[in-house]
Amino acid sequence: MSEQHHPDYKKIYIALVILLAISVAGPHVGLKWLTLITAFGVALVKANLVVENFMHLKWEKVLAKWVLGTSLVLMALFFAGVSPDVMEHKGDRWVNNAAIAAVARGIPDEEEAAAQEPGAEEAAAPREAAAAAPPAPAFKAEEQFKQVCSACHGLEGKGNGPGAASLDPKPANFTDPAFWADKDDATLVKAIREGGASVGKSSAMPAWGSLYNEDQAKQIVAYLHTLKGN
Amino acid sequence: MHKPIATTRSATGIPTGRLAVWWVLASEIVIFGGLLASYVMHRIGHPEWAVAASHTNTWIGATNTFVLLTSSFTAVLAHQAAEHGDGKTAAKYLLMTIGGAATFITIKSFEWAHEIREGFTITANGFWSFYYTAAGLHALHVIAGAVVMAFIARDAMKGRELHRVELVGIYWHFVDVIWIFLFPLLYIAK
Repeated sequence: MSEQHHPDYKKIYIALVILLAISVAGPHVGLKWLTLITAFGVALVKANLVVENFMHLKWEKVLAKWVLGTSLVLMALFFAGVSPDVMEHKGDRWVNNAAIAAVARGIPDEEEAAAQEPGAEEAAAPREAAAAAPPAPAFKAEEQFKQVCSACHGLEGKGNGPGAASLDPKPANFTDPAFWADKDDATLVKAIREGGASVGKSSAMPAWGSLYNEDQAKQIVAYLHTLKGN
Repeated sequence: MHKPIATTRSATGIPTGRLAVWWVLASEIVIFGGLLASYVMHRIGHPEWAVAASHTNTWIGATNTFVLLTSSFTAVLAHQAAEHGDGKTAAKYLLMTIGGAATFITIKSFEWAHEIREGFTITANGFWSFYYTAAGLHALHVIAGAVVMAFIARDAMKGRELHRVELVGIYWHFVDVIWIFLFPLLYIAK
């Protein structure tokens, strides 16, 4: 049996319960940085109290700390190695279309998402938005282009976005008069909704039909026209 | 009865049984750590998950945190009693800890049944996939710990194998620590 080290467990237990109350109360203040501290800072303090005193790691031989520490380092290595590719949805030579589409689907409208502070009536929000904005509910073609299309086509539509480097043939350059010479709007709407291959162009252009309906694709094409001759 | 050598030998200065528990926990850190690290990086990359997360019930999560903290408290009291050679008291505290585990699982069942009825199933979206996977893996650990504690309590009642009370306690505190992190990740950060 091990050396007898028994701190006042009741005191530690009461401290843990008080810390729990703090982490529940944190979000009610409404400050994001404070919530992060009361949620994760307090969790670290609680975990430390349990590990040191209840698990007796404070009095354990250093070998046990090395065993556990090695695992923690492995976990940190995993996070550091993988997270940049998961947290970002486009890099210098790649674009994660599925993730971009998932984010766009999940957030119907940017202002609405910004208004959805913790505690806000999330059920009421979509109804309000639908009532406030009649036929075209705040679909902004330019914003969509800059968020989604620009990954490959570039912010100015020159076909030089971050994703373009690895593509051959290169993404369409909407500022080039030659691009517009042989295409009508219906072809472009089809290319947006069904992908480049559907109109005999590069299959690297994904089908965005799940993200944009016919009308929204038309609005994007209208926006593309404004890029002409820039 | 013949005792296996592992229970008496201690080449590292740490009793072999306890060293084995530390190794188990080292592998558990990688299992839960990998899962939680994946959750965190996806959550940061997917702002829309906040909408799904807003449906989890903070009060149920907080109640279950309180239940597990309390069960950790009784587990460490069992350890203290075992070190004083008081197997009966140790067994009593272990049974209280098992009670905590049962309370935790019962609350979780009602919580999940409610959420599934609302349509928040494991395939609803990425957030709910992680929610059920992480909390489900944790719940399996709670059940496993409770079963092992029942066997150890039975022995402790007769004053046998009292060193095992500490060993299962260390595991139990670890399960508590995992929940200490799951609670803010799934219930508080909205």
